[in-house]
Amino acid sequence: MSSSYPQTELTRVRRMAARAHYDRATVQAILDTGWICHVGFTVDGQAHCIPTAHWRVDDTLYIHGSNGSRLLKALADGARACVCVAQVDGLVLARSAFHHSMNYRSAMVYGQFRVVDDEAEKWASLAAFMDKIAPGRRQEVRMPDDNEFAATTVLALDIVEAVAKMRSGPPKDDEADMAIPVWAGVRPLETRFGTPIPDPAMAG
Amino acid sequence: MTDRYTQTELTRIRRIAQYANYDRPTVHAIVDAGWICQVAFAVGEQAHCIPTAHWRIGDTLYIHGSNGSRLLKALAQGASACVCIAHLDGLVLARSAFNHTMNYRSAMIYGQFRVVEDEAEKWRSFEVFMDKIEPGRRHEVRMPDDSEFAATTVLALDIEQAVAKIRQGPPEDDAADMDIPVWAGVWPIETRFGTPVADAQPEAVI
Repeated sequence: MSSSYPQTELTRVRRMAARAHYDRATVQAILDTGWICHVGFTVDGQAHCIPTAHWRVDDTLYIHGSNGSRLLKALADGARACVCVAQVDGLVLARSAFHHSMNYRSAMVYGQFRVVDDEAEKWASLAAFMDKIAPGRRQEVRMPDDNEFAATTVLALDIVEAVAKMRSGPPKDDEADMAIPVWAGVRPLETRFGTPIPDPAMAG
Repeated sequence: MTDRYTQTELTRIRRIAQYANYDRPTVHAIVDAGWICQVAFAVGEQAHCIPTAHWRIGDTLYIHGSNGSRLLKALAQGASACVCIAHLDGLVLARSAFNHTMNYRSAMIYGQFRVVEDEAEKWRSFEVFMDKIEPGRRHEVRMPDDSEFAATTVLALDIEQAVAKIRQGPPEDDAADMDIPVWAGVWPIETRFGTPVADAQPEAVI
């Protein structure tokens, strides 16, 4: 398997092409960093953009939901989707307003989802999802019973057309602006877990 | 002006409708808390979903970019857009796999963007964008010159069809699962500024 995704008409980054990355490891790392993706799709010409949890097993991206949700129905019908996972890493404060920017990592995946009908794949995917949330937790919780398993639709997108776009580092000011006496640099944005809050219903 | 957005066919929440919130201040607060939005639009049958910076003045959402970007071109031509701003606030760990969920705040806006041609509105929108990044900073930096101003397209979306969806709080387990001896609760997810990293200053300033 090639270590890079092929650049296609859909994934060719036009603006700031130097920030584009097609290598598999970079794209996959960004996908894995995010807990939710945004799925863009259209129904009768109207675009929708729905945030939903996602996870990945190798080169397959999974999402899930209740049977009959509008999102899942449209995607199961073969809508051409665009999935985006984006993380803002910092505000880039330059000496001119024009050169202000953001540091970010984003991954874009184009394709058509398929309904995961195979029960073994569906079960393995749900197990992988639990492992993403908390490794090992699936051995401690009650895993889906038949009704729950049947009530959940899992959709898979085989990652074939994908690209990452990233910016990092300090501002890039015009030479003529370098003497402007204003603080310039990066205000990093950090996302982290806070202190866990036990369910008030927890015994003892 | 009413303090709520009117529920429409596009903004009617079907799944877990009790999480829906049409209050204007609620939607605005979620919009303002985000640095980027995701804009979905179609070119033919193909959907695109593009992350970009946004800001708000009253009931107008603004985005910007270089003249000629694919996103801005499609939107300027009147593509029906859907803009989403979502904040993940925590992972909700339940006693059954099925009842795991996430705490979040999301806002969804449907509509068509217009190019901001009016120079006064465009200039004002830049000022507010700078104020969002850091209040007062626009008085210290060099604001756009004529060519920078001309090279930037600003698009505006008048917020008329909008809805928020919010989930907060502990897991909701089935009664039969309450005795399962596993930790249950919420792992909050927090986003905050870290220590600023100053750009290397030229010697002339030092």
